[in-house]
Amino acid sequence: MNRSLTLPALLPLAFLLLMVAAPLARLLQEGHAGFSLALLQDSYIQWRLAWSVGQALATCALALLIGLPLAWVLARFDFAGRRLLLRMLMLPFVMPTLVAGMGVLALFGPHGVAGVNLQDTPWLLLYGNLFYNLPLLVRAGVDGLEQVPASRLAVARTLGAPPWRTFWRVEWPVVRPWLASALCLIFLYCFAGFGLALLLGGQRYATVEVEIYTLVAYELNLADAGVLALLALGVGAAVALAYAALERGLARPQRLAPTLRTPAQGWPQRLLLASALTVLALCCLLPLLAIVWRALQADATVWAMLAEPEVLAALGNTLRFSGAALGLSLLLGLCHGWAAQRWLALRALVFLPFMVSPVCLAFGLLLLYPQYSASVGLLIAAYALLAYPFVAKGVLSAAAALPPQLPQAARTLGATPWRSFCRVSLPLMRPALRRGLAFAAATAVGEFAVSLFLSRPEWATLTTLIYQHLGRPGAANLQLALLLSCLLMLFALLAFVVIEWPEKNHARAD
Amino acid sequence: MLELIDLTLSYATRSVLQGVSLQVAAGETLALLGPSGEGKSSLLSLVAGLQRPDAGRVQLAGQDITRLPPEQRHIAMMFQDHALFPHLDAAANVAFGLVERGSGKLAARQQAVQMLDAVGLAGRGAAAVHTLSGGERQRVALARALVCQPRLLLLDEPFSSLDTHLKQQLLADVRRHLAALQVPALLVTHDRHEAFALAQRVAILQAGRIVQQGTPQAILQAPASAWVARFVGLDNVFDDHAIPPQAFVLGAGQPRRDIVAAQAQADGWRVTVAGDGGQPWQLLLGVRELAGQGAPCVGQQLAIGLDRRQVLYW
Amino acid sequence: MLKKSVLLLALAGLSLSALAAELRVMTHSSFSLPKDRIAEFEKQNGVKLSIVKGGDAGEMLNKLILTRANPIADVVYGIDNTLIAKASAAGILAPTSSKLGRTEKDAQLPGAVAVDYGYVTLNYDKTWFAKAELPLPATLDDLAKPAYKDLLVVQNPATSSTGLAFLLATIADRGEDGAFKWWEKVRDNGLKVSKGWSEAYYTDFSRNGGSRPIVVSYATSPAAEVFYSKEKISESPTANLLLKGGVFLQVEGVALLTGGKEPQAAQAFVDFLRSEGVQTGLQTKMWMYPAVAGTAIDPVFAHAQKPAKFSNPSLAAMNSKTAAWVSRWNRLVVKQAN
Repeated sequence: MNRSLTLPALLPLAFLLLMVAAPLARLLQEGHAGFSLALLQDSYIQWRLAWSVGQALATCALALLIGLPLAWVLARFDFAGRRLLLRMLMLPFVMPTLVAGMGVLALFGPHGVAGVNLQDTPWLLLYGNLFYNLPLLVRAGVDGLEQVPASRLAVARTLGAPPWRTFWRVEWPVVRPWLASALCLIFLYCFAGFGLALLLGGQRYATVEVEIYTLVAYELNLADAGVLALLALGVGAAVALAYAALERGLARPQRLAPTLRTPAQGWPQRLLLASALTVLALCCLLPLLAIVWRALQADATVWAMLAEPEVLAALGNTLRFSGAALGLSLLLGLCHGWAAQRWLALRALVFLPFMVSPVCLAFGLLLLYPQYSASVGLLIAAYALLAYPFVAKGVLSAAAALPPQLPQAARTLGATPWRSFCRVSLPLMRPALRRGLAFAAATAVGEFAVSLFLSRPEWATLTTLIYQHLGRPGAANLQLALLLSCLLMLFALLAFVVIEWPEKNHARAD
Repeated sequence: MLELIDLTLSYATRSVLQGVSLQVAAGETLALLGPSGEGKSSLLSLVAGLQRPDAGRVQLAGQDITRLPPEQRHIAMMFQDHALFPHLDAAANVAFGLVERGSGKLAARQQAVQMLDAVGLAGRGAAAVHTLSGGERQRVALARALVCQPRLLLLDEPFSSLDTHLKQQLLADVRRHLAALQVPALLVTHDRHEAFALAQRVAILQAGRIVQQGTPQAILQAPASAWVARFVGLDNVFDDHAIPPQAFVLGAGQPRRDIVAAQAQADGWRVTVAGDGGQPWQLLLGVRELAGQGAPCVGQQLAIGLDRRQVLYW
Repeated sequence: MLKKSVLLLALAGLSLSALAAELRVMTHSSFSLPKDRIAEFEKQNGVKLSIVKGGDAGEMLNKLILTRANPIADVVYGIDNTLIAKASAAGILAPTSSKLGRTEKDAQLPGAVAVDYGYVTLNYDKTWFAKAELPLPATLDDLAKPAYKDLLVVQNPATSSTGLAFLLATIADRGEDGAFKWWEKVRDNGLKVSKGWSEAYYTDFSRNGGSRPIVVSYATSPAAEVFYSKEKISESPTANLLLKGGVFLQVEGVALLTGGKEPQAAQAFVDFLRSEGVQTGLQTKMWMYPAVAGTAIDPVFAHAQKPAKFSNPSLAAMNSKTAAWVSRWNRLVVKQAN
């Protein structure tokens, strides 16, 4: 039993060692001569750190407050297009930050459709955070709530619990571990964020990661960068460990029984559903629509540029790289998630790729493997590094929800541990696995961190192409970038639909 | 023949099994009876190979299988909540073990469908597991266990979730199939009715030890301790003796005793009278025994004597 | 899997070394040349050009410095006058020269061979100023006046080379203390700071959905606006705002790297960048002026004014003081701007 968990752990551990620990150590070694903790007494640095932690916590709280009711509505009510909506919820993840920012400004900017200019106000900062992070929490919440069997809800209701008491006493305990992992992820993303909030709120909202980036990429001050990166790693690790402990303590095997989902009945329910969908659309989908709307106004000449070889090549690269990264992520994620059932540390390590400063990682890899620094292998490994935690997380939650009798029954029926995994555990985890893969695909298609690595012009993906065009002035560049963003969304949506194609036996668990 | 020799198991500091030894002959069903949480299911896990004992051996047909992984033991186990695979339909559940033991998918499915017929589920092969009723699930689980022609059948409280009527019907079915199989069967249960109905022999497990084993009659006639006497369902258990129902003599000429409590039952009355030395004696009086007397109630008297030869001492 | 990735890495390594003649060129991310020119070069010199983009110019240089023991490229393009002293001091550049052409007077780049040059300066949105009926600011100091409150967006010099260039220009013109006094005043007058040029131009500049009609950009940007316009327009919607102390001359060059292989091909590449084809072709690809004197200038550049004056600190000062200036700027402008 133990061996069946040890062996798969070796693969992700080796990967993390080669791709995270060793490069980081190499970078620290390069800068170790100048290590000084005096840096941390600098009030400017303290302010950056405090702001990084504070805004990450605030975003978590906000996402939970708004996201959980939305998740509940999505999990309990059936309506036409529900499945598509869940897929579309992952699109913000794919959007290059700059394009997303343009979409938001098209709504709430100085010339926005909404008619109010929120640029440079805290509202837009908040909004920017929700745009990327709300989908994470909502999807996790929906997944968690779908673990609650209909019968259990019915029991609570017949025992006299009104809906909110039912939620508090029956659903909340089940959904907690799912939310914990989403919140952990949101924290890590915001803490190390370079993202939309910064773009919309301005540089004064810069996180400590921006400081690290400047120290490494511009000043080559590896000593100070190392101190800050270690500090950031410490904060990230503390959060991830807290999450891991919480999740392990809360995870309970669930009966695999159908869940309750009914069409909204009566005005109160319909109103609830309508307002939930409105909030969701407002926070996550409207900026995307604004991009589509602006893109559709492109001139015929710009449309024609979509057929140019450079666009086709980028589309091909996007497909190839994300495909390869997904394959690798699947393998790593399965091994890591499965093995992490037992060990708390391994569970916390799932998020290690998000805890380490990306710029430190990029420079560490360059120092450690200069000869491979511009090779496809390293590129794919980097993509997979940032994508596979989603798969591992999916496997982990699904494995925790797996009733232990099922693999045991398979064993007594003559299945070896491996066969039992393939024929029972894996099929039962498949919905969660597919969800994890969809998020992994979103990460692989998106821009995350890869911009920091060495690249080659012939590797240009849709995302790089978008940034290339936004690196030059002129209306045609802008329009083509917007059109390419639409193409990227279309491509991603297609990928999500294919990856999460409903299975016959599991239509209910979807 | 299944032999358990001196099995010992503990979790961290808590001792679960302390030197349990048992024998179950081919064709025989042994019921392991004990309250919840006293190590019954752990013992079954050891026999199934899902856990390793700290000490002791498990032998099946003369072969030591203690260190054999479960899939190589060629046994079958029925789980408390059936443990049906929710992603497979009924027939695929039944065919699961056949496939693992090398049957082709098609042949396995055919055989599974036949087995479902045999347990009374003709035509339900394609049904999704969550659409089956409790009794149907039970039958699928039974079919899944039997179809592989195991060398040993393990039953872990398999009827605990069923209602009485269904349970009796299923008990009869299982008895029939067990008889046909001619392999040892080990039933774990906390329900003495179930144990006495299915098993030729009963072993009673208390705090990780077998405290008594024998046929149901033997145990009922001579419980080894007050605890066992209570556990097998005797109502009138006192410090050093117990009064089985057959020891009470009703009717004229017996001493009249005060009724201190009376409660109506589906098939008669449960009556408590003040016995010898003020001992509360509980009796279940059938409708026949009460014929012509009217309903007993507190304050009335009842003529009850004691056949001292029938009283059990230990 | 590990085996697989090691294999992949090894294969990738092999494929790089297997081709006998491969020239590894490190460039910044804005590098762009017509494809047929590159193919022509490969054919003429019998080498495969392997172009590697190392991010922003500053980031690229630091990557080269970190890997100098195991050079990851043979030749580098994109080191400019803000970085050349740092590069030379780090000892990563091999002596490089080119016999091709005469370099423009302004476009000198000691330590490398100049390829192109351009000017970082303020751009403004013509329509906005026409509508607001506001006179254009005549000096940088005007930007600190209430009339011009909330009009300027600059890039953070810590994350953007245009932002850095503009900061350097203000320092060269006013001296360090004078410049930071000015920055403090514009900060209090509603200065917006964004991460990079793209963010500033496409989300803050009033022409593209933002609210700021003045942005730090290149002097050639108005010409690019015409070149990349939807329907061919004859006048740019933006124009340069050439203010004293607000113009920085940027010269970009190419140099061989110490320890690089293929010195011959590398030299050929240096000459290639100075060749007429590239000097003409780069103008509307990278929006810089050709460094070789006498090269024909693309007609679209008529929409861009070439500044007559600029203010650059000395190369040595840029090498020794830039980090301290950027740090001081961030503490002054970013932290306090609440």
